[in-house]
Amino acid sequence: MKTETMSRSDVMLNVFIGMFVMFMFLPLMLMVMAAFNSASPPSVTDWQELTLAWFPRLAEEDRLIGCLQNSFRIAVFVVPASVLLGLSAAILLTRLEGRATNVLYAFLISPMLTPGIVLGIATIVFWRNFGVAADLFTTILAQTAFIASFPMLIIMARLQRQDRFQEEAALDLGASPFFLFRRITLPFLLPAIVSSAALAFLMSFENYNTTVFSIGGSCTLTTEIAAQARKAHTPVINALGVIFVAVTLMFSVIYTLRKQWEK
Amino acid sequence: MRGKEVVLDKVSAKFGDFTAVNPTDLVVNAGEFFSILGPSGCGKTTILRMISGFLNPASGSIRIGEDIMTGVPANQRPTALIFQNLALFPYMSVWENIAFGLEARGVGKTERRKRAMELIELVALSGEEMKKIDELSGGQRQRVAVARALAVEPAVLLLDEPLSALDLKLRQHMRAELRQIQRMTGVTFIYITHDQGEALTMSDRVAVMNHGRIEQIDTSDRIYDHPSTPFVASFVGENNILRGRVTAIENGIATLESELGSLRGRKAPELAVGVDAMLFVRPEVLKISEQPQSDNSVAVKPVRRDMEGAFVNWVLSAGKRSLVAHLTKAADAGIDHDRSLHIEFAVDDAIVMASGELADTGGQDDEASD
Repeated sequence: MKTETMSRSDVMLNVFIGMFVMFMFLPLMLMVMAAFNSASPPSVTDWQELTLAWFPRLAEEDRLIGCLQNSFRIAVFVVPASVLLGLSAAILLTRLEGRATNVLYAFLISPMLTPGIVLGIATIVFWRNFGVAADLFTTILAQTAFIASFPMLIIMARLQRQDRFQEEAALDLGASPFFLFRRITLPFLLPAIVSSAALAFLMSFENYNTTVFSIGGSCTLTTEIAAQARKAHTPVINALGVIFVAVTLMFSVIYTLRKQWEK
Repeated sequence: MRGKEVVLDKVSAKFGDFTAVNPTDLVVNAGEFFSILGPSGCGKTTILRMISGFLNPASGSIRIGEDIMTGVPANQRPTALIFQNLALFPYMSVWENIAFGLEARGVGKTERRKRAMELIELVALSGEEMKKIDELSGGQRQRVAVARALAVEPAVLLLDEPLSALDLKLRQHMRAELRQIQRMTGVTFIYITHDQGEALTMSDRVAVMNHGRIEQIDTSDRIYDHPSTPFVASFVGENNILRGRVTAIENGIATLESELGSLRGRKAPELAVGVDAMLFVRPEVLKISEQPQSDNSVAVKPVRRDMEGAFVNWVLSAGKRSLVAHLTKAADAGIDHDRSLHIEFAVDDAIVMASGELADTGGQDDEASD
């Protein structure tokens, strides 16, 4: 009796997992297929002929490439700024004692919960008062404002696991607070810092809401793709998507292999 | 390396409304192996943290050598602390751990490495210098912690129950090693423990602490043979404890009218006739016989005989009380279980003290009368 219900729930679970994976990856697969179809606008149902032509066409999309470069330009500032802010906030929140900590925590976490649109608009409205027009600069500020909360949470989680006697031992042996931080705390936090930097990069790179409202006349890859999607566009965008999927896959394969070697 | 004296002048500690350490005066001599012994929560670790500078006294001052430590942060005190969990640095090799204090002081790498290697030799870890901490055994980690603390040439080494994580054999071995290192270096050791065996075997002097107060400071022998409070008598070693009222005091001998009859023992200072008192007599001074030689004796029935190896542990009942006697094998051989027996003890081997708080030993020394 019991084994029967077990196997039935196993079947249910497998069906659910299958549907979930389909839901996640079917759109991705369709996008990839359309990149190799000569039909434009991109389609899988209207299959004309297999082609690689859309890939070289990418090089001719000057505006798209410019926007892609903007995405990287923004990330180059947003990632270190978010990690530094998050690191400082995490240390402050874990070391500070007293009731102020809870208020400060709520305050620092609030940008994460604020709608991206609000953040974007608030940023341009604020900076307009100082004569700063909406551009990459305002986008960097607006993105950093909420992305910094994620490194803060990741680094806090690790800091809370730290043996506080490690730092006391270092101090006791004569370490200055700076030396202690560089030699003991930072190496301990390094894994959390690396993963929060990766997360911050992805969040900055794929952000749309905040970016579209704070960037003014400029563009990033996401805002540009959204703009093109509204018009009839060519499968060049699908080709770019394929490249991203390939790069992501490559990194995860390398990561998995490295994990294997370490064992 | 030379040790310095540590002087506590009316030092107290508070956590909110809770007084962890009552105002305490304490002088630890330069180059001494000094232990603070007490049950958990007695305030011994708090004293250690105040000396090392991680906690500010609520009142009083601490002096190390000629220098008052008030306002001196932990990283500028001539002390080194060995933590209960050792707090070794997991991302560094053995020699980098040991050289950490020197690195913090800006000593160059060649010099650091040379000093570290000397200490590695001192603590018998040669060949292990490149290993990571998690590749070491418990005893080896212990040695790294000692070497790391000694590397900064402290005048005072503070040890917070560093042996508690080790198994018995290793613990006994490390006791001897710590004692030897202390003698070789001449550094003042202040050792915190709840393990009386550790305190008694290693120390020049021991302070016994309870409820944030030092009850007695003395050599190991004096603590064992001449406890000054009921707490010390019941916490250090085993004791049979009998309650009663003092009926006479003569020539330093007090007579106690106890639940088991009239018994005599050495009088503790400040004991007066008529007060409620306790008589303490250690299991190893009790004699068991069919015909007692003196009137300082109690009729008993044997309950259990446990062979402990070096001695034989007798559990005996007298009225509602249970008594314990440790007999040598020779003394044990002549005892006939089936006859009525007596225990007796020399008057000088027992001590009579005014009643006071006893250590919590699980209630085996005492019946459920209070």
